[in-house]
Amino acid sequence: MKYFAQSLLKTIPVLFLITLIVFILVRVTGDPVSLMISETATDEERKALRESLGYNDPIYIQYFDYMGDLVKGDFGDSHRYETDALNLVIERLPATIELAIASMVIAIIMSVPLGILSAIKRNSFLDLFVTGGAVLGKAMPNFWLGIMLILFLAVNIEVFPVSGRGTFLHLVLPSIALGTGIAAEMTRLIRSSMLEILGQDFIRTARSKGLREAMVVNRHAFRNALIPVVTIMALQTSTLIGGTLITETVFAWPGIGQLLIQAVNLRDMAVVQAAVFIIAIFVILSNLTADLVYRLLDPRIKYD
Amino acid sequence: MKKKILWPILVVFVLLIAGCSNESGGESESEGSGDPEENSDSKRLVIANGTDIVSFDIHDHNNTSTEAVHVNMFNYLVRNDAEEGFVSDLAENWENIDENTWTFTLEEGVTFHNGEELTAEDVKYTLERVANDDTLLEYGSYQQIEEVEILNDYEFNIHTHESEPALLNRLSRLGSGILPKDYIESEGWDVFLEEPVGSGPYKLKEWRKDDQLVLEPFEDYFGEEPKWEEVVFRTIPEDSTRVSEVLTGGADIAVNIPPTDIERIEQEDGVSIVTSPSQRVMLFALRTQGDYPTADPKVREAIDLAIDKEAIVDSLLEGYGTPTRTRVTPGNVGANEDLYDTQVYDPEKAKELLAEAGYENGVNITLSAPNGRYLKDKESVELMQAMLEEVGITAELEMLEWSAFSTRYSDKDFEDVFFIAYGNSMFDASLALQRLTKEQAAGETDYDNPETEQLLQDAMSNMDPEERVEQYQKAQEIIAEDRPQIYLYQIDSIYGVNDRVDFTPKLSEMLYVDEITLK
Repeated sequence: MKYFAQSLLKTIPVLFLITLIVFILVRVTGDPVSLMISETATDEERKALRESLGYNDPIYIQYFDYMGDLVKGDFGDSHRYETDALNLVIERLPATIELAIASMVIAIIMSVPLGILSAIKRNSFLDLFVTGGAVLGKAMPNFWLGIMLILFLAVNIEVFPVSGRGTFLHLVLPSIALGTGIAAEMTRLIRSSMLEILGQDFIRTARSKGLREAMVVNRHAFRNALIPVVTIMALQTSTLIGGTLITETVFAWPGIGQLLIQAVNLRDMAVVQAAVFIIAIFVILSNLTADLVYRLLDPRIKYD
Repeated sequence: MKKKILWPILVVFVLLIAGCSNESGGESESEGSGDPEENSDSKRLVIANGTDIVSFDIHDHNNTSTEAVHVNMFNYLVRNDAEEGFVSDLAENWENIDENTWTFTLEEGVTFHNGEELTAEDVKYTLERVANDDTLLEYGSYQQIEEVEILNDYEFNIHTHESEPALLNRLSRLGSGILPKDYIESEGWDVFLEEPVGSGPYKLKEWRKDDQLVLEPFEDYFGEEPKWEEVVFRTIPEDSTRVSEVLTGGADIAVNIPPTDIERIEQEDGVSIVTSPSQRVMLFALRTQGDYPTADPKVREAIDLAIDKEAIVDSLLEGYGTPTRTRVTPGNVGANEDLYDTQVYDPEKAKELLAEAGYENGVNITLSAPNGRYLKDKESVELMQAMLEEVGITAELEMLEWSAFSTRYSDKDFEDVFFIAYGNSMFDASLALQRLTKEQAAGETDYDNPETEQLLQDAMSNMDPEERVEQYQKAQEIIAEDRPQIYLYQIDSIYGVNDRVDFTPKLSEMLYVDEITLK
């Protein structure tokens, strides 16, 4: 437990560093005032707005002011929506979590059987098909896959709704678009991990004592092959969140990804900070969870 | 072990998703799949926008697509109709009584969505708020108002600081809705922003940010009875997704259809393309003084003559645009129609002019432009670069992401030429040309022609409408020859529309839903 307490403590400086980097990137790359105000505004109007938003102070003062509020849990107000930035992000959280979980489920449903099968039937036509498919799945950009899915399954054959969030059907296409890349990665990993395990002594022992092949694969091999898979699943959290930025835009899915993209475009600093902060916490937590599950699956691993 | 771990996890995942989905499910039963012909009699109108509204603070958004939704919830005093001119909305009649004073009479019996009556008090509160608070984005367009003087519940005078011929234009544009004073003062802005109250034909039912905004009819609306039982504005940022929604009947109207998708819509039965000119004019702004090659009027003219605007409109915009030599296009007060739908294109003469200017062997200029901000901006600029090269002008392109571009724009930090599009929510020449007054042009184009300056300054405060229009028309002729800005083309708004509805787009891009009818 000490290990996890330490890990949690280590995240504090990481989060601070993230706020600093985001602050600098947002500020250095564009001026929020010129993005907010009309192209035809006069110099005086720009000046008045800049003053009212506090952008006339030196940048380090702005950062300290900002951090002062942040430690009190106040990310500030969104310029665009004129409302609390953190609330905006939290409002969108359920949509993004829903999409992320559904994509992960799709990735697992696709990758586990395919990975195991292609390992057992190594070098068969099926194996070739699966590994080829995995390369393709990984190579396909998810925005392209999203648009193709819409074209074929929503426009040509009208099975699913085109976009938006609402019913279970709305969830299917975006989660396939987002889940496919992750499924491809996981399939390849499960396959290679299974292959490695299947070649080990204890598997030969299991087979030689006359266990059924299904039992050998399911009980002995797969459980051991699961360890790296769990790690990769946790590491995919960041890929998943990166993917939601694009997938949410393509499918008009009202989650954090869409919010973040718009906030970056408008240099809506408070929202960018709040969103990146929440995402960072998710990534850190999922990595910690991976550590925990890892230990659960393999009692030989000890941290303390 | 596999069963022990994997299956419970899967079951939890599925339950979680089911849980999440139920939370918002059930409301969108008719969204999505279906033929365009489906639901043809449904009184539910779905409009797919590219961006969500910014806020319900009508004075602090500066955004046409936000206003296009607001106009259904709030009323202006007067409406500016491209065909009919100024028409009554809340104001029954109005009169300009002296240089600085306008008097208005309100319709009686207008109520807000919360049942309170709309009176001159509300008008005073609304207009003085935006005229005095310089942190509001619309402040610049209303600061000309000095005071709203209440005569009685239904009559009031608007006093302006200086004579303001374009007052009606200001009162009929973005952010001109009238707000409920008592409601805002008793509940506070935070409540208003969550539960906005206007006097328009529709009131807010639900707003799920970046997803959909749903309006329902306001039974006590003072005007004609609202036609739709429900109006949904969906936010669909991706162009091709918006097109797919209109193709499948998920949306009745989709805005901003890219020219490349026009064919897709035209080929499908039950949906059509509808277009309208917009207020957006693409232009070059050029340095007219200093060491820049463009300081020589001959070089500026050569740039204008080198570019075939017609060809750009035909090839990149599929014909959905109009070449223009002025920014004040038809439908705006002061428009000079002689300079509209025409172009000067003469590459041979451009070469001669360059030679006369001493650039026989060519000249180098820097051309800055935003990338991804306007329809086909990068492609247009690259095409123009090639056209300029033909006559001996080597344009070094500086393509900038929008935020970088707008920072440079604010700082007036461009080199010889920059490419930009301007809109005009005032529908008046004053807004279109004010950037060329000496004061505002300083540091940008540095345009300084005493004759133009005199015309612009005179027109700015001229209360004689006819003479004012002449002054603006004359100014545009001079500007078209001086070329501190070279106007290229006006772009059309392109909509995909389900054939079950009748929709005529407006120059202002406002979406008055009660003017959209079932066929």
